[in-house]
Amino acid sequence: MSQIAFQSSAVEIAARSVRLFDGYPFLGDTYDELLAPDGAPRPAFHRAMEVIGRKSPDEVRRCQALVDRALLSRGVTFSVYSDSRGTEKIFPFDVLPRMVSAQDWRHIRTGLEQRVRALELFLADVYTSGRIFAENRIPAEVVLASRGYLAQVGGVRPWGGVRIHVAGIDLIRDSAGTWRVLEDNLRTPSGVSYVLENRVMAKRAFPAAFDRARVHPVEDYSARLGDALRSVSPETQAPNVVLLTPGPYNSAFFEHAFLARTMGIDLVQASDLFVDDDRVWLRTTRGPAPVHVIYRRIDDAFLDPEVFRPDSLLGVRGLFRAWQKGNVALANAPGNGIADDKAVYPYVPEMIRFYLSEEPILEQVPTFLCARDDDRAFVIDHLHELVVKAVDEAGGYGMLMGPDSTAEQRDEFRQRIRADPRRYIAQKRIELSSCPTWDGNRGCLVPRRVDLRPYVVSSRSGPWVLPGGLTRVALVEGSYVVNSSQGGGSKDTWVLKV
Amino acid sequence: MISRVADHCFWMGRYVERAENAARVLSATHGLALDGELPAHQCWLPVLIVAGEQPAFYERFGASAAGEEEVVQDYMSWDEKNLSSLLRSVGAARENARSIRDLLSIEVWEAVNETHLWLHGQDARDEYAENRFGFYGRLRWHTELVLGLARTTMLHDQALDFVGLGVLLERAGWTARVLDVHHHALLSEGLGDRAAETGLWLAILRACSGYEPFLRHGRGQISGLAVANFLLLEPKFPRSVRYCVQGAGERLSVIRPPQRDELPGGRSLKRLLNLDAWLRQLELPRTDQSALHQVLTQVVDETAAVCNVLGEELLGQPPAAAPTVAAESAG
Repeated sequence: MSQIAFQSSAVEIAARSVRLFDGYPFLGDTYDELLAPDGAPRPAFHRAMEVIGRKSPDEVRRCQALVDRALLSRGVTFSVYSDSRGTEKIFPFDVLPRMVSAQDWRHIRTGLEQRVRALELFLADVYTSGRIFAENRIPAEVVLASRGYLAQVGGVRPWGGVRIHVAGIDLIRDSAGTWRVLEDNLRTPSGVSYVLENRVMAKRAFPAAFDRARVHPVEDYSARLGDALRSVSPETQAPNVVLLTPGPYNSAFFEHAFLARTMGIDLVQASDLFVDDDRVWLRTTRGPAPVHVIYRRIDDAFLDPEVFRPDSLLGVRGLFRAWQKGNVALANAPGNGIADDKAVYPYVPEMIRFYLSEEPILEQVPTFLCARDDDRAFVIDHLHELVVKAVDEAGGYGMLMGPDSTAEQRDEFRQRIRADPRRYIAQKRIELSSCPTWDGNRGCLVPRRVDLRPYVVSSRSGPWVLPGGLTRVALVEGSYVVNSSQGGGSKDTWVLKV
Repeated sequence: MISRVADHCFWMGRYVERAENAARVLSATHGLALDGELPAHQCWLPVLIVAGEQPAFYERFGASAAGEEEVVQDYMSWDEKNLSSLLRSVGAARENARSIRDLLSIEVWEAVNETHLWLHGQDARDEYAENRFGFYGRLRWHTELVLGLARTTMLHDQALDFVGLGVLLERAGWTARVLDVHHHALLSEGLGDRAAETGLWLAILRACSGYEPFLRHGRGQISGLAVANFLLLEPKFPRSVRYCVQGAGERLSVIRPPQRDELPGGRSLKRLLNLDAWLRQLELPRTDQSALHQVLTQVVDETAAVCNVLGEELLGQPPAAAPTVAAESAG
């Protein structure tokens, strides 16, 4: 009875608030995040949608203009690599929020905690005993051939037993509305600063709807991360934590400065650090100061020219040895690339079963490994319906969108796959879910495809999932690619309280 | 404090102050030129000399262009190749601020960023075209907001001391050069006309925001010696050379206490305190005109030397040579 009453009230609400969502052009065979197929807001979101739905297109236009100006003024930008004059762009922000119900969030949160626990155990296992290989649960050659594998990491046990201090796990939703893990980012996942800035903007744009929705706050992320970093410090009395950035020309510099500022720690560059007697020191105006934890936002290959790339100007000579000896904690740990390699991804459910004796909570995307003969033969014959990705690339680069590709592009990928099968995987294209998004040119809401990157922070006592995440949106009509480097933008993500 | 970060603080202060001083000098000179008492090149050439841009300007535009007010103002306001132009100074201030974004309050950062966005937008171009005094005034309003917010919204710790040190050393140099250039011009060309001469001294005071303070201070007759004494030695005027050097010495003494000889920075501190002590006991002779020039040369050379030693002792290595890219993967 109460269920029926609830539904009818949702219909009434929808009837009163048709203005903004009226005539919303649903995509075929696609799950929409906010609106049910009949055009009414999904019941879990009715509190906020009622308020948003009453806005006129002109009001939404004004809200969007307001936040665009504010983002520019606050300097919430990313640097454009190809521009030598250091041009910065604002990361396009769509003013319409994406919402996640309390019920969905419980599923996501427990699934992510489980996944990160298993991935931690996998990394510790591979770099110490290799039990999972000995028991033939995962082929060793797939893992050891990964470009992320670092033999030098073998035998090192990091402080607090943590290697994945910060994980960004990309989730998508298929046409049935099922959440699926698309990929893991376990090295230097970025984007969380936009989650926090987007929240500031969403509160300015839609204060009444935000209030009605009852949204989990995200602002304590920095404090949590700071606590997690201090929890793994080799020095417990007065741990000195720093954030290591490649510098202001790096595309993510805004984020580096943001996190350092909100954690109250020093933002350092490699030239500010030096290693003496296997200990790390910071060059200050009052002489050297000891450093105990480095939240490093530079890749493994640039960490230490002594061990990795001798041509790197970015690294700190001797840093790796200091880490090996346990004199400094590195977050994230070197060598994590084996666990977020796209060719290792199909084995994560097996890791969960092997290490935790649990069934995986979150679904994955069925994946073909071109290194396997059968898979490769199938992929080569079905390129026109598959998405092919290079295992070691990110940012939407090195991939083939089969259904949208030309015969020429498919030929090129066929050759590439045959030349280096280990480097490629293929997946059926998932019809990513859509979310109503403001189209300034047409002056109305349009469906655009989204994904979700939640962030998981692990301390000595285990993982914690930020209730929220970066919703990336493919702003280009018909696009499935949400990366900022390829015309993507972002939205605030409202995880609703029970 | 990290040496590289201290360097960014120091230079952010210097560039903000540099933009403000250039705008003030341009505005005062614009007013002086409009009076029409002085030949154009005698108004505008000193602007280039004060900014240290005379050789580069001559090479690109020729000596005669120094008398064309629009060419000089355009060069000093918008020229991308001129390291002292308003555009470049504000851009450099922002670059430094961005590198220490984690240390600045959100208010200071927004003020710096807004200055940069304004100067790069159409509004600034329109204001420059339609209301020149308004344009220079707005730029100063922006920079003064930055420095004011730094004092009222940031922690008063070493970062702010380095910003202040940069501001005060930059300001001491500007005041000394403004005074020296015009004084030199007066001596060598000789005006002989009371109105023109008074106009020039008032313009110099305005170029240093010293017009009203000078009159309020009750120096009476506006003479070259009185103005020189005020701008060089007045301890209560915040843009006088003595005031700036004393303030810089105080800040450096906090950063590097005089008795802490185990810390780096001893040579710069000693040199700065010596300059301060010398200025405290200095008196300008009433008759010997060339003495002022010698004193000002000494001040300009010594502040430059202090900045150099400071760079070596406290501000660490030079900034990284090339922009480094793609060190963090897009994931």
